[in-house]
Amino acid sequence: MADSQVNLAEPAPDADQVASTSVIADGHIHQAIVARAVSMAYQSGNERFEVLKGIDLEIKQGDIHLLMGPSGSGKTTLLSILAGILTPVTGTVHLLGAEITSMSREQLAQFRLEHIGFIFQESNLFPALTALENVEVTLKIEGVHGHSNRRQRALELLDQVKMANKANHLPRHLSGGQKQLVAIARALAGNPELIMADEPTAALDSHSGHTVVELLRTLAKEAGKTVLMVTHDPRIVDLADRIAYLEDGLLRSSS
Amino acid sequence: MASIARKNLFEDIPRFLVAQAGIMFAVSLVTIQTGILNGFTRSTALLIDQSSADLWVGSEDMLQLEVTLPMPLQNLVTARQVKGVARAEALMIRTGLWRSSSGSIEPVRIYGFDPKGQLLAANWKFISGDLAKLDAPYTVLIDRASRNTLDLQDVGNTGKIGSLPANLVGIVADTQSIASSAYIFTSLENANAYGTAGLTSSLNCRLTGDDIKCLNSFATLPDNQPTNIPPPKALSFTDPITYILVKAKPGQDLQDLKQRLAKQLSGTRVYTQAEIADKTRTYWKSRTGVGFILGLGSVVGIIVGMVVVSQILYSSVADHIKEFGTLKAMGASDWVIAGIITEQALWMAILGYLPSMALCVGLGFWTMSAKGIMILITPATAIGILGVTIIMCVGSAMFAIQKVTRVDPAIVFKA
Ligand SMILES: Nc1ncnc2c1ncn2[C@@H]1O[C@H](COP(=O)(O)OP(=O)(O)O)[C@@H](O)[C@H]1O
Ligand SMILES: [Mg+2]
Repeated sequence: MADSQVNLAEPAPDADQVASTSVIADGHIHQAIVARAVSMAYQSGNERFEVLKGIDLEIKQGDIHLLMGPSGSGKTTLLSILAGILTPVTGTVHLLGAEITSMSREQLAQFRLEHIGFIFQESNLFPALTALENVEVTLKIEGVHGHSNRRQRALELLDQVKMANKANHLPRHLSGGQKQLVAIARALAGNPELIMADEPTAALDSHSGHTVVELLRTLAKEAGKTVLMVTHDPRIVDLADRIAYLEDGLLRSSS
Repeated sequence: MASIARKNLFEDIPRFLVAQAGIMFAVSLVTIQTGILNGFTRSTALLIDQSSADLWVGSEDMLQLEVTLPMPLQNLVTARQVKGVARAEALMIRTGLWRSSSGSIEPVRIYGFDPKGQLLAANWKFISGDLAKLDAPYTVLIDRASRNTLDLQDVGNTGKIGSLPANLVGIVADTQSIASSAYIFTSLENANAYGTAGLTSSLNCRLTGDDIKCLNSFATLPDNQPTNIPPPKALSFTDPITYILVKAKPGQDLQDLKQRLAKQLSGTRVYTQAEIADKTRTYWKSRTGVGFILGLGSVVGIIVGMVVVSQILYSSVADHIKEFGTLKAMGASDWVIAGIITEQALWMAILGYLPSMALCVGLGFWTMSAKGIMILITPATAIGILGVTIIMCVGSAMFAIQKVTRVDPAIVFKA
């Protein structure tokens, strides 16, 4: 791994190292996410449809940053690009000082594994595995060795999201909110610096939605994680450090 | 450990059972076909394997144990005088037609040997009776596999070969070739008499007007046999025998002895026990195409197994595509995911293999005792089939693995 350009020390990148690997011209080493002139288009039939028309975005480390906008405005597309899951047509993305837009598919996967925790609209837990086992499997993929080691760490993670008492429940015996909490525990398995969430509360009632958002805020403020969250939920607005609005392929930022 | 592979497998029990049924079908078919082939080829030379001769002297034209040309009994006398020979015994093979006590007929192969000898029958396993009474005129032994064919249930039962009586004095195990007619073991003198007592091909035909009227002389024999049939006559030096079984003196080099015997006995060829057994087995395997036919059955089994397993794995993966997509979005490599599916395939292989093997072993016992057909599952066969099963299942996982590795992790963002 030492030869990889994405090599960053755990848990948080050492500032010197980030600076040295960073190619950010203006030297914003405190920016966790920097996007420059990102544009994206989808081809459907003969029609080329431009979703993003040159997006510039900077997100500070430890911030909780919301991405809002009407349905179909390209929020998910932008989040996927910022997370290294989609490749933009043009533009560059730097995460934690490393340029992900020039990485290979394998390098991107490794980067996501080490630095990004994902939360989706649906929890996507394996239905045949208990809450604990779902987290354990992720720890295994993260490269945590030893069965008892993984079990203990998985319990800690579930405890962190107040789900330790439901550790041996199958997903179908958990409520939507509880499943989403398990999904957050899973997202935290690799101790990521970045958390990317796409409408994590959309499928939840307001009470569990609130629990989830509170938890994400705690993670940002106490564990220093950077949270980028796509949401429609107006109740979350108060908790955000910054909000960006996406409309007609362009970004309008406000604090 | 939380194994996604194992848990996914048991998640949908009916689907799991369908998969296992498919695998069991394939494994059982392959095992049975291989077992029958093994049992068949082994059985064709069982008699040779059971003998304790060092060398077999047969005709130079010999194709296999039962397809060969005779030699005169004189050869036996000559062989006994060859330096390095400790014992030499004659073996005579004849064909005949068996008429059971209930009147049905059956072709038989008659093996005449010296009941006091040590080279052919010393190792035989007797189910009932023994060798001692085989000296008496018209006494025979059979293999237990031929009991029903010959309608002989136990010692004391009788039948006829041609016009001559045959009294059962013993039943042995593990001598009969599946490929051959039922064996009748008897003394050399009896065999010689039985061999010429068939008369099945001799017809009395008379031209009456434009018609030819024929009578089978066999059929014309009286049903009530005369009470005093003369005992078989002693052999003369010109009577035909089929093989000479030779035991070498201790310390004698077999290759040297082979050459000396061949030199003394013109028109013959000398084989070691392993050579004649091998020649006989190879004949049956290659001349009959039995290996090809049974092999074809195995291939069909494997194809069916692969279709079922790939179908089941594919649909299992398709059901969990979002979960696998999530793992990929998180950064799991294709290798990790291929590993999960391969593990699932391995579980299917093992869980399909074990009951199938148990089933086949059980079936083998049943066919042996009920039908006399041996399904021979050697440890090597069992291990080989485990390998085939694993290759079949893991090979079938390819489609499922391809589906997952092709999936775009971006799908997980789509609600
Ligand atoms: N894979 C794709 N192929 C073609 N069009 C797409 C694809 N993904 C998204 N789109 C289109 O791009 C636009 C933006 O989609 P999306 O990023 O999902 O918006 P949002 O998340 O803001 O609702 C939509 O009009 C959608 O139909
Ligand atoms: Mg969306």
